[in-house]
Amino acid sequence: MTKFNLQSMIDKIEDATGTPGEVYDGINNDETIYIEPDQLVDVINILRDHFDCIHLTAITAQQREDQHDTIEVMYHFWKGRGITLLMKLPTSTPQLTSIIDFLPGADFYEREVAEMFGIHYTGREETPPLLLPDDWQNGPPFIGREENDAE
Amino acid sequence: MQNRISIPIGPQHPLLKEPLSMMIDISGEKVLGGSMRLGYVHRGIERLAEQRNYIQNVLLIERVCGICSHVHTTTYCYAVEALLGIEIPPRAQYIRALMCELERIHSHLLWLGILAKHVGLETIFMHAWHDRESSLDIMEAISGGRVSHAANQIGGVSFNLDKAQAEMIRSTISNLRTQVEGLLNVIETEPALHARTQGVAPVSAEMIRQYCVVGPIARASGVDIDLRRDDPLPPYDQLEFKVITHADGDAWARTLVRAQETRESLNLCDTIMRDMPDGEVLVRAPRKVPPGEAIIRSEAPRGEVFYYLRSDGSENPARVKIRTPTLSALSMIPAQLAAIQVADIPVVLAGIDLCVACADR
Repeated sequence: MTKFNLQSMIDKIEDATGTPGEVYDGINNDETIYIEPDQLVDVINILRDHFDCIHLTAITAQQREDQHDTIEVMYHFWKGRGITLLMKLPTSTPQLTSIIDFLPGADFYEREVAEMFGIHYTGREETPPLLLPDDWQNGPPFIGREENDAE
Repeated sequence: MQNRISIPIGPQHPLLKEPLSMMIDISGEKVLGGSMRLGYVHRGIERLAEQRNYIQNVLLIERVCGICSHVHTTTYCYAVEALLGIEIPPRAQYIRALMCELERIHSHLLWLGILAKHVGLETIFMHAWHDRESSLDIMEAISGGRVSHAANQIGGVSFNLDKAQAEMIRSTISNLRTQVEGLLNVIETEPALHARTQGVAPVSAEMIRQYCVVGPIARASGVDIDLRRDDPLPPYDQLEFKVITHADGDAWARTLVRAQETRESLNLCDTIMRDMPDGEVLVRAPRKVPPGEAIIRSEAPRGEVFYYLRSDGSENPARVKIRTPTLSALSMIPAQLAAIQVADIPVVLAGIDLCVACADR
């Protein structure tokens, strides 16, 4: 399996978006690039068109303990090795563009982070519940965890 | 066209071994499409993992799946060990891989039995599940558990193999090979199985890519991907094996790929037993995990398993993200159902090799 060249990928992202993709080296066994949330679709198109890298393994969201005003979202791709796109969204209005139009395999991943973290996806009609009950009333379970745990 | 009607399948249904809710739209005998709802066995394992320490989580993670429990703890433990910066002894790596291959054999034979039952071939079902017992017997003899093996610990594995156990494994594998070869012969020549699966619900390589599908389903559509070869955990980087692929992408191809992978896993068990080095199987791992993040991928019986693990330096992990291969395969089912006959619905569902508990977590 041909592996991608990280520097070449970063250069392409800068050419297309006008901002340099900043490397985050905090994750073992994976290459990670910070991007702006509004660049997501453009960057995925670059991965697909220039690097044949379109296998989306997962979407991970998380809220760090010391950054309650931010939700981190990671799109984990793989092409011989892992490449993760890392974005930071404001907790008050977390919003991303859906990619299911050209990558329908992202449907369940988007629905899961929508219900677990309250992320709103534009470009798709709705994000129906995937794992939580239909009558779930308590909001996204991964937001405000410390308060919930204390109770 | 006749009237369009919707039929519910699940969450409890004889066709399903685990709870899953589908609404399938049909017109006469033709399926038009469908939708799906998960969550009936959602246990909140990712959230629970944040409330337990790293050692307790080995036991919790083993409960993600009742079929491929070992590969989950293997992937989790490699992620914790990456954060700890420790390397487990080579013999422990080989024992982990041996258990993974035994798990693949039992998972594929279990699946073969279910497929055979769904298409009315009860004899193949009986033989496949009988033969599957041999791999479960080995795992029970060496670990103490048929389904939840508790084989992994952070830093290695819980048990070593003595000479008598090694001999028992070799002889059981040898007997199992004879049985599996017989099954393979039947599968490849049985006209009823061929007629019920060939040309049913073909999936193109492009569709596999669009739905991010992995494992035997992808390989049956000609997508040559196997993390044991392409992004290997130890000791797979030192083991030679053949990645089975097929070009047709139909239910027949998915049957052949899994059946032939069973044979290949038996060969791998032999190689692992032959090359397994002597020595210790466990190193002492610090209880405190330093802050950091790690991603580990491994090849489960159904394809790529993914773990993201973040430590904030406290006693418990700050985030454990689990992605299982069935999740992407499930998302493709509505597209696969479109334009098939109602009678082929069981074949399509069996061809996916559903593991709903894995997908729900």
